[in-house]
Amino acid sequence: MVTDAPEVTIEPRRKSVLSRVSFVWLIPIAALAIALGVAWDSYSSQGPLITLEFQNGAGITKDETVLKYRDITVGVVEDVGFSAGLSTVVVQVRLDKDVAPYVDSGANFWVVRPELTARGVSGLDTVLSGVFIEGVWDDVIGTTETRFMGLETPPLFRPSKPGLEIALRATANGQLTENAPIFFHGIEVGRVGKARISPVTNFAIAEAIIYEPHGRLINKSTRFWDTSGFSVNIGATGAEIDFTSLATLISGGISFDTVVSGGDRISDGEVFQIYEDEETARNSVFNASEVETLELSAIFEDNIAGLRVGADVELAGLKIGEVQSVSGVIDRATFGDSRVRLNAILSIQPARLGLEVQASPAAALNFMAGRVRDGLRARLASAGLLAGGLKVELVESGQPGALSIPDMTATIPQIPTAESQMGDAGASVEGVITRVSNLPIEELMASAIDFLNSAQDFVASDELRGVPEEAVGLLEDVRGLVGSDEVQNVPVLLAATLTRLEAVMAQLEEQQLVARLVGAVDAAAEAAAGVDSAVEGVPELVASLQGVAAKAEGLALEELVEEINLLAGNAARVIGTDAFNALPADLSAALGSLQATLSDVRDGGVIENANAALASARSAADAVADAADDLPALVTRMSGVLDQAARTIRGYDRGNELGRDVESALREIQEAARALASLAKTIERNPSALIRGR
Amino acid sequence: MSETPIITAREMGVVGCRGCTQVWPQGTQTCGRCGKRLQLRDHKSLQRVWAWWIVGMLCYIPANLYPMLRTRTLFTVQQDTIVGGAIELFTHGAPFVAAIILFASVVIPLGKFFAIAYLAVSVQRRSAASFEQRQLLYEVVEYIGRWSMIDIFVVAILSSLVQLRTLAAIDPGPASLFFALSVIFTMLSAQSFDSRMIWDVQSRDKGEAESGH
Repeated sequence: MVTDAPEVTIEPRRKSVLSRVSFVWLIPIAALAIALGVAWDSYSSQGPLITLEFQNGAGITKDETVLKYRDITVGVVEDVGFSAGLSTVVVQVRLDKDVAPYVDSGANFWVVRPELTARGVSGLDTVLSGVFIEGVWDDVIGTTETRFMGLETPPLFRPSKPGLEIALRATANGQLTENAPIFFHGIEVGRVGKARISPVTNFAIAEAIIYEPHGRLINKSTRFWDTSGFSVNIGATGAEIDFTSLATLISGGISFDTVVSGGDRISDGEVFQIYEDEETARNSVFNASEVETLELSAIFEDNIAGLRVGADVELAGLKIGEVQSVSGVIDRATFGDSRVRLNAILSIQPARLGLEVQASPAAALNFMAGRVRDGLRARLASAGLLAGGLKVELVESGQPGALSIPDMTATIPQIPTAESQMGDAGASVEGVITRVSNLPIEELMASAIDFLNSAQDFVASDELRGVPEEAVGLLEDVRGLVGSDEVQNVPVLLAATLTRLEAVMAQLEEQQLVARLVGAVDAAAEAAAGVDSAVEGVPELVASLQGVAAKAEGLALEELVEEINLLAGNAARVIGTDAFNALPADLSAALGSLQATLSDVRDGGVIENANAALASARSAADAVADAADDLPALVTRMSGVLDQAARTIRGYDRGNELGRDVESALREIQEAARALASLAKTIERNPSALIRGR
Repeated sequence: MSETPIITAREMGVVGCRGCTQVWPQGTQTCGRCGKRLQLRDHKSLQRVWAWWIVGMLCYIPANLYPMLRTRTLFTVQQDTIVGGAIELFTHGAPFVAAIILFASVVIPLGKFFAIAYLAVSVQRRSAASFEQRQLLYEVVEYIGRWSMIDIFVVAILSSLVQLRTLAAIDPGPASLFFALSVIFTMLSAQSFDSRMIWDVQSRDKGEAESGH
């Protein structure tokens, strides 16, 4: 040190401070500066840390899972942990600084995972890359928020998919499937969001979006309907199965159409109702809403099984609602015993009451309250003979009463009830069968056969057959008498002739032909009346038969007899006159007219023809009897026989009055047969019609 | 310690060229053989040593904090720091490889830092270690310096070999750059050290001993 000192001290004097310090020091200084600069830069460019809470944190990895906005990474997960109590997964995300101001209280976050549904595969990219968190927020800077509840499913409305935001509400039977597609003419144009129960009323409501540019398809008169599931139609063309798409078959779907044009434009937030099918939806354009129903409670004393949920509620035969629920109720305080009573909640559609002002439940309640004060009561009634179920009828009982509200908290008004009205026979299917089996078909047939037999007997009787021959013989005698010169014998002969004529007439009267015919027809009418009491559908037939009877009564036979009587009277008067000088001429004219009448009868061959026709009818009646169990075939055959008969009648002199009458009578019978045939066809087509009387 | 006193070049009135080791009389400014400036002692040596040492140390911090290798396979991306990778290898049942990595990437660089720092401090203060030991230490540090880049070589070779597009790829992480810089700066630091100063202390001791006697 001592020796070095002179040398060392000399040199530094000349050197400045700078020259004594190595320039290499610049490098660590620069390195420090750079490090500090980078540190400051990274610190200052660092965005805020936000906290997301998820129920399910599957796949979220620290430092790897990213936050994306419109598919661009805007943040990275910095930490994954649990909330206090381990109830949720807490994810800390470092946001990019430039998007941070926009992440305000309106932001939503959800985890994008691969998803395989009936409608397709989504989020497939996350299979390889792992899940990511997607965020959505608007383009307005709002109040800063650092803690968010993550969504379990992607929100319906996203800025990347703009559209018309509407709400759909379903009726009691409708179904709203989350994320179900909305179709317009088979093209997917929207989505249904998460369904929830409306807090105000008892229907489900779901947000839905119609993607742009399809929003213009919706207006006030647009109707939505459910296309879920499939429908099976079995008809004349075979069986058909209809469903919109496989996706809707599995997960449901909704279609819509604008039924009438000219509806008002709508804005976001409009509420639409979903109808159960397309037909209902289209019809609903002209109907009021059926969603908001009036609920009434009815407690029935009767212990009758068979009232089911969905049973009709009828007012004056018109369905105005349904039974919404059925339960038992024990109310010792009100009824004084602990018997279980039937408590039915009736859901009444205000629109179906036909209220003019507005079809709201309140208006319907007002209306019902008024009607109940006037004596309206609910009672159980049989819904149908074959259906076997019960329905609720609202009927006038004549006793005034008030609509009571037993419990203000229940808010379901109670409608008073009346004793149920159900016939023994009508209450069950057995009753129907009893009624059917009691139908006097055999008696009807027997009566018809009797009638036809009587008619045949009458026609075939020798007396009637003998009339023309006797008349001809008589005329021959008269002619011989007139042509003879023994004029002095004329009065005697004439008297004898007239006596014989009178005897013939008496014989005819004795036979009581017309009475017999009338009696036979009456028997048929009685039989028909028996049918009438049994089957409601038969009146036409009965009327026809009665018409036949009336026609038969009006048959020209009577006229013929009267005419003959008149002739006989005329003849008698002629004989009794003092103007005996004019006898030959008068007698000749009278006998001429008599002859003409009788030859008319003979020439017409009416008797034979009627005989043949009635024989045919008889064989037809026999066939009816034989084929009593095969009604349609019987009717066809009968119709054919009657056609034949009609043709036969048409075959001879149409000018003949008797022929016309018989023809019209037969036409009536034919019409009756047709009526019977149509009745049989109706029964064949719809057997229940006979039973239900419709 | 030394039976035969070592006579330094300075005591003999000569100065050695640090470039070509030619000995020149003191006062000669430049080496007549290689043209390098002759210095009896490099007075700024310690400054440079410490400066490079600090930069090297600064670079060594991120070299250990950032991932060295980024291994991307079909489904996963794996990033490992030096120590993290070694620990992972150890837990996966490769303690030998883990030990090699730890030795080459942690023990040796840190050892170099400590060695250089020790040498730099020892030339200013009295040291317990002998001059010969310190000289040997310096030579070891100098020799090892050229092998310190072996980590970087491994990373470079892996990165260039394993590039199977989507299936797998290995990319150097940011730590590899810092590690390389750290090695470079450490080497510069070691080179900046004027080993003649080790012996200056001996001559100083000698002088003190003489004056003390």
